Amino acid sequence: MRITNNMLINNMINYIGNNLTRMEKLQAQLATGKKIQVPSDDPVVAARALKLRTDVAEIQQYQRNLKDARSWLEITESALSDIGDIFQRVRELIVGTDSIENPQDLQATKNELIELRTQLINLGNSAYAGRYIFTGFKTDQKLLNDDGTFALDVSNTEQIYYQIGLADSINVNVLGGDLFNAGTDAAAGSTSKFIQDMNDLIEAFDTADYDKISSMAKNFSDNLDTVLRVRADVGARVNRLELTANRMQNDITNFTKLMSENENVDMTETIMNLKNEENVYRASLAGGARIIMPSLIDFLK
Amino acid sequence: MSGSFFGLNVAVRGLFAAQRNLDIVNHNLNNINTPGYSRQQAIQVASRPMALLDGTGMLGTGAEVIGVERIRDEYLDFKYWGENPSYGEWSVKDEILKNLEVLFNEPSDSGFTVIMSSFFDSLQELSKDPSSAAVRSLVRQNGVTLAKFFNNLATKLEELQYDINYRIQTKVEEINSLAVQIQQLNRQIYITELSGNTANDMRDQRTVLVDRLSKIINIEANEIVVGYTPDGREDKHFVITVSGKALVDHFSVSKLALEQRPDDKMVNQEDIPNLYEVKWADGNKLNVKGGELRGLLDLRDGNEGSVNPDNGLVSPNYKGVPYYIKKLNEFVRVFARAFNEGYIDLDGDREFDPGEFGTGHSSGYGYNSDLTGIRFFTMTDENGKVLSSDEFLNGESDPALIYAAYEKITAKNFCISEDILNDYNLIAASDTQYEAGNIEVLNKLLGFRRNTDMFSEGAPEDFMKSLVATLGIDSQQARNYSMNQKAVVNQIINRRLSNSGVSMDEEMANLVKFQHAYNAAAKMIQTMNEVYDTLINRLFV
Repeated sequence: MRITNNMLINNMINYIGNNLTRMEKLQAQLATGKKIQVPSDDPVVAARALKLRTDVAEIQQYQRNLKDARSWLEITESALSDIGDIFQRVRELIVGTDSIENPQDLQATKNELIELRTQLINLGNSAYAGRYIFTGFKTDQKLLNDDGTFALDVSNTEQIYYQIGLADSINVNVLGGDLFNAGTDAAAGSTSKFIQDMNDLIEAFDTADYDKISSMAKNFSDNLDTVLRVRADVGARVNRLELTANRMQNDITNFTKLMSENENVDMTETIMNLKNEENVYRASLAGGARIIMPSLIDFLK
Repeated sequence: MSGSFFGLNVAVRGLFAAQRNLDIVNHNLNNINTPGYSRQQAIQVASRPMALLDGTGMLGTGAEVIGVERIRDEYLDFKYWGENPSYGEWSVKDEILKNLEVLFNEPSDSGFTVIMSSFFDSLQELSKDPSSAAVRSLVRQNGVTLAKFFNNLATKLEELQYDINYRIQTKVEEINSLAVQIQQLNRQIYITELSGNTANDMRDQRTVLVDRLSKIINIEANEIVVGYTPDGREDKHFVITVSGKALVDHFSVSKLALEQRPDDKMVNQEDIPNLYEVKWADGNKLNVKGGELRGLLDLRDGNEGSVNPDNGLVSPNYKGVPYYIKKLNEFVRVFARAFNEGYIDLDGDREFDPGEFGTGHSSGYGYNSDLTGIRFFTMTDENGKVLSSDEFLNGESDPALIYAAYEKITAKNFCISEDILNDYNLIAASDTQYEAGNIEVLNKLLGFRRNTDMFSEGAPEDFMKSLVATLGIDSQQARNYSMNQKAVVNQIINRRLSNSGVSMDEEMANLVKFQHAYNAAAKMIQTMNEVYDTLINRLFV
C-alpha cells in the first residue's frame, strides 16, 4: 500500500484520540469512584444501580420505622408495667385488710387506693411524642376522663400498623378497650372494668364491707392476668422487632455490598489500567513523533 | 534529412518537459494539505518521430507533456458517499442521546430514584405520626419536589426538541447552499472540459462539497452520459439524487424547503407547535434515509412509529424526544390516577374498566377534617394556575369521566393540588373522619410504591428504571454504530489518501529526477552549442 504523509498524520491523530478517549474514561472512573457515568456506559449496571438504590433507601426507611415502633412499644410496655404494679399493690392491700380490725384504718388504705386509681387513669392517658397510645386511631384524644369513664369510643379494630418490611408490618398500639375493659370495645361515657373494679373496691373500703373486699381479690388477679396477657403480647412484638432489626441490618450490609460491587470501581485495577493506558499513550506519542518528522527533504543536500 | 538545428530543438523540448514536470511537483507539494486534493501527474509521451527518407528509419524528436491528470479512484468516492450518511446519522444520535442521558441524571444522588424515595419516605414518616404538622409539611414539600422534577424534565425535553428543530433548519440551509455551490462548479467544470481538458482541481473541490453533503443527507452522485459532444467525446452530466429525486442535475438545482407544521399536522401529540416539515421546494415529499438530517428528524419526531390519533400521521420508528415525553406523561397520568383514585389497571389493557378503582387519596380524610374527595396530584391549567380537586375533575363523579380527566395531565403541567398546597392537613391518611392516628388510607398509598400492576413495566420505580435502561441501551447502540461507522469511513479516507494523497518523499524524488532531466537537457544544449560553434565559427575560418 502506498503510504502518504497525510495518512500517517491522520492515523496518528486518530490513534492518539482513541488513547485519550480510553484515558478519559479511566480518569472519570477514578475521579468519581463509579464504573459508569451515564447509563449508556453499561445499561445493565445502570438499571441494577437504580434498583439497589431503591432497595437500600426502602430498607433505611424500614429501619427508621423499626426504631419508632420500638420506642412506641417500649413506652407501652413501661405503662403496662406500671399498671401491673398498681394491681399488685391493690392485691397486697386487699390481703392486708385481714389484719385491720379498725375500720378507721381502712380509710388510710382507701386513700391510697384513690391515689392508685388516679395513677391508673393517668397511665391510661399515657402518650408517646404527644400522642395518646391507648386510644386507637384517635391519638389526639385522651382515653379516660378524670372520673375514669371512657372519653371516647375505641374499637378493638383500631390497630395501628407500621411497615417494617416489604410485606411485613407490625401492630404498635395496645387498645384501651382491650386493656382497660379486658378485651371488650371501649364506649364513650361507660366506665372501664379496671376503673369499675377500683371504684367498687374503694366503695367496699368506704363501707368497710370486708366480704366484698376479699371477694374483689379475684377481680384484681383477673385484671393482673389481663395486664400480663397484654404485656406478653407486647413483649413478643418487641422480640419480633429485634429479630427483624437484626435481619434488616444484614440486609443493608448485603445490599450496600451489592451496590458497591455493582457500581464502584476497583481502584487498584483501574489505576493499573490507567498506568497501562499511559504507557500506550506515551508509546504512541513517541512513535508518532518519530514517524511523522523525517522526510526525504531532511536528507537532500 | 535532419534540419541543421534539429538537436537543439529536441533539447529544448526536453527542457520544457522537465520544467512542466517540475511545475507539477511544485503544485503537488503546495497542495499537500489541501483537503480533497488529488495528486497530479504529467502525461508525458515521446513526441512524434521524424521519418528519415534516406532509409534510416524514424528519428526520435524528444519528449512532450500532453496533459495533466489527477490520480483518483472514483470507486472510493462512491463508497465514501455510501457510508458517510450512516456515520452522520449515528454520530448525531450518539450526541443527542448523550445529552438526554444527562437530562435524566441517573444513576445519581439527585435523580428520580432519590426524589421518589424521599417522597415515599416522608409518607412512611407520616404513617407513624399522621398528626404531625412538621411531617405533613414535609410530605407536601416532597410532593412538590416530585412534581417539579417532572415539570423540569419535560421543559428540558421540549427545549431539546426546539434545539433539534433549529439544527434541522441549519442543516437544510447547508444542503441548499452546498447544492448551489456544486451546481456552480458543475458549470465551470463542464465549460472547462469542453475543450477536452480535465478540470482536475475543480473536480477535487466538487468532491469535497459532495463529501460534506453526504454526511448531512443520503445521496447518490453520478456522472451520467447523456450523449456525445461534436468532437466525439461522451457528454457527461453530474447528477446528485436524494432518495431518487435529483437535488443537483447538471446546471439545475432543486432546493429543499422548510414549512412550519400547522397544529393539525403535528406528528406527535407531545410535540411543541410549529416544528419544521422538511420537503422539496416544489412541494414533493422528501424521504430522508440517512445522514445527520435523518438522525435529527428521528430524534425530534421519533415515537416508536406510533400513529397520532388526531391526524393519523406516523412518527419515525425511533425513540426520540417525543417518546420520552410520552413516557413521562404516561408515568404522571397513571401514577396520579393510582395515587388519587386508587385506580390500578389490573388486567393490563391500558383502558378504563370501572372495577379497577380501589382506595386512593381521594377516599381518605385529612387530619382533623371531615373533607374527603381531595386529590393529591392535579395539574396547572393553560394559564399556569394550580387546579384544586374540584376544578380538576369539574365536579364529575362518573368513574369514566374521572378516568378521562387524567388524560389531560402531562409531565409539564403535573402538580400538587391547590387544596393540599393551601392546607397540608388535607393530606389524607385516615379512612374515617376525625381519627388522627388512622392510617388505613395512607397504608394503601404506601403500597403503590411496590404495586407491580400499576405499569406494564411494573411498579413506579421499575417504570423509570426501564425508561433509563432503554435510553442507556439506545445511547450505547448509537455510540457503537457511530464508532463502527467512523472506522469504516476512516478506512475509506485512508485508502483515498493512499491513492490520491501527496507523498512528500515521492515528490522530492521526482523533484530530483526532473531536475536531473532538466540538467541533462541543458547539457545537451551546451553540447549542441559546441557542435554549432565548431561548425559555424571554426570550420571555414
